Amino acid sequence: MRHFSEEDLIAYQLHESADERAVAKHLESCSECADLSESIAETLRVFSADPVPLPNLEHNWHRLRGNLSVLTPERRGSFELLRWKWAWPSVGLATAALVLLTVFGMRLHRGGELNHNVAVNGHGPLTTEPTDLAIANHLDAAERLLTEVNNSPGSLDDTTREQAHNLLLKNAIYASNARDSGDLAQAAVLENFGRVLTTLDNEPPTPHSTWRLRLEMNTSGLLLDIRILRQNDDHSQGAAQ
Amino acid sequence: MSNRRMEKAETEAIRDVLAGNRDAYRVLMDRHFCSVTRVAFRITGNEADAEEAAQEAFLRAYNKLPSFRQDSAFSTWIMRIAMNTAINLVERRNRDLSYHAPRITDEPAAAEHTVRIADRQAGPEGILLNREATSLRQAAMAELTPMERTAFTLRHMEDIPMAEIAAALSITSNSAKQAVFRAVSKLRRSLTPVAGGLR
Repeated sequence: MRHFSEEDLIAYQLHESADERAVAKHLESCSECADLSESIAETLRVFSADPVPLPNLEHNWHRLRGNLSVLTPERRGSFELLRWKWAWPSVGLATAALVLLTVFGMRLHRGGELNHNVAVNGHGPLTTEPTDLAIANHLDAAERLLTEVNNSPGSLDDTTREQAHNLLLKNAIYASNARDSGDLAQAAVLENFGRVLTTLDNEPPTPHSTWRLRLEMNTSGLLLDIRILRQNDDHSQGAAQ
Repeated sequence: MSNRRMEKAETEAIRDVLAGNRDAYRVLMDRHFCSVTRVAFRITGNEADAEEAAQEAFLRAYNKLPSFRQDSAFSTWIMRIAMNTAINLVERRNRDLSYHAPRITDEPAAAEHTVRIADRQAGPEGILLNREATSLRQAAMAELTPMERTAFTLRHMEDIPMAEIAAALSITSNSAKQAVFRAVSKLRRSLTPVAGGLR
């Protein structure tokens, strides 16, 4: 008698079997396969009763709404902007910026080994890096920390300060790697982040020091840089759809 | 409400959002946030991460709404984004050893960042009987890879078609099926030493 494999019987129990009738017929006459099939069915029963907590819709809506920007039809087609007279000065400025970037880019190219990623937030064009999962994770942690620093009304709590301490060493390594690989955009952002981390690690935990840190280090600008790097990372890893 | 009326309401909501009315997005959130959070919970295994993944998914969907062609239902689209977001979150958490989200347990402890989901139907005896089973289930699930866990929970607990799971995981249907089969096989073996009758 030919017995069915465990995989065949799992498929049968999940209604994914190509020939359910053949399996059912076999189980009627083969106690060995019937026992195995019942064991699989029991496993599925055991793992089917977990309760799921209901989310608080009101709370989640208010949290989400704060992050929603106003969408306008103009965003759907950028060429529609050209129909408006007021858009022409912007086009002129954009063209001038493009010329400057081209000249700057040619100088960098002549300069030798500089990478195409030149920096963000006032330092040059957006980067297409990183693609490394470890750095992506680091940027994620950096974004969470900076968001906390930016939004804390008073002094930072111990958890945030400990997180900053833990990120400090890793950040130095990633910044060094970015420099070595010629990715100046990433290196610039990470070095800036490193300064914030160092200050966080050494400053006394007072509301005044946190406020001064935000002012001096321009954490909101750095947060934007980190988000751009992270968003580029998301794009490089493939969109959700 | 019929499906056609639901779809019409959603289409109108999307049109209003694209016209600049942010509050119209609430219609879509009210309809789909719970189901999205439930699927995210199956993938992440904890309430805090599930809500974070759902939030992120709804934010991503909102920002991509201008490019949403509506050739598929919004529910299918948002679910796919949510599954992808939740899987990414689990992978990020696994890499970030410093992160400790609240985990579900029978004995919540603040120091261990654990919570317990209230089961209003279970009495004291039921809780006692369930405690050991819950621990066993958690230990067994912890042995699965993120992909196996995701594929198994979505297929078995949420009854999501294999093709949809495969699309979210960016793998073939056959690979998704194999991940589910491996998960069931591992879970069955995890229960063997204590389940007596199970082999």
